[in-house]
Amino acid sequence: MQFAIFFFFAAVAVIFALVVVLHRNPVVGALSLVASFFALAVMYVLLEAPFLAALQVIVYAGAIMVLFLFVIMLLNLQHHPETPTRPVQQFLGYTTSAGFGIALVYYLLKYAVFEKLPEGPFQSDVRAIGITLFERYIFPFEMVSILLLAAIVGALLLSARKGLPPKHPHEVAP
Amino acid sequence: MIPTHWFLILSAILFTIGVCGVLTRRNGITIFMCIELMINAVNLTFIAYARQFHQLHGLLFVFFIMAVAAAEAAVGLAIFISLFHHRDTIDVDEANLMHW
Repeated sequence: MQFAIFFFFAAVAVIFALVVVLHRNPVVGALSLVASFFALAVMYVLLEAPFLAALQVIVYAGAIMVLFLFVIMLLNLQHHPETPTRPVQQFLGYTTSAGFGIALVYYLLKYAVFEKLPEGPFQSDVRAIGITLFERYIFPFEMVSILLLAAIVGALLLSARKGLPPKHPHEVAP
Repeated sequence: MIPTHWFLILSAILFTIGVCGVLTRRNGITIFMCIELMINAVNLTFIAYARQFHQLHGLLFVFFIMAVAAAEAAVGLAIFISLFHHRDTIDVDEANLMHW
């Protein structure tokens, strides 16, 4: 049963990831990426990490991808068709990434096959995660909060237009 | 229980798809989505190893990676909005302001 769930959702994740790469419309790409992230959340549940599965759905599929969709629709990108990639770049990109992927899977199968699975349940409930987070990782936690504050200020500064000088010095502001 | 290396192989495939998208696409936001895909592939690897070795540290790394990815998405999308205001396009080949 677990194996059937694994293969179904692995296929879902890979197929929707391929749609992100191959489809020309960025809105379709963003929505398929949401579907792929949901399939990955199922993988996290299979790996006995339900807290991170919930975070994946809330933070990634819920917040980050909504931000992407919002920007795509704000810029009206679905009406600006992407210019096709040059054939040389396309060929080099596909061959390089295919070689990279084959090498990655080959070396994983050669060196990273674990015959023995861990026995017993993995204690990864919210309580254990919280205790570790606020004991050993309290400094990185505070650093992350400062980083998020800096990201908010940076995003505001970068995307605000009012108060900035016009892009050409002689241009009259409308 | 599903063997750990199956998750690692799935993660490798997803990472490769992300690399392929970054190398072949020209739309900046699509490239950005492919980067998110690669980040998620790495997260899957972290969680797979965390279960294999019964270590919570892998899960906490994923937690921090998610926070950093949120910050990165906010700043990156702001940069793309700014680029669109200046150039009226999101094509990364046109973004050559710093090209000498």
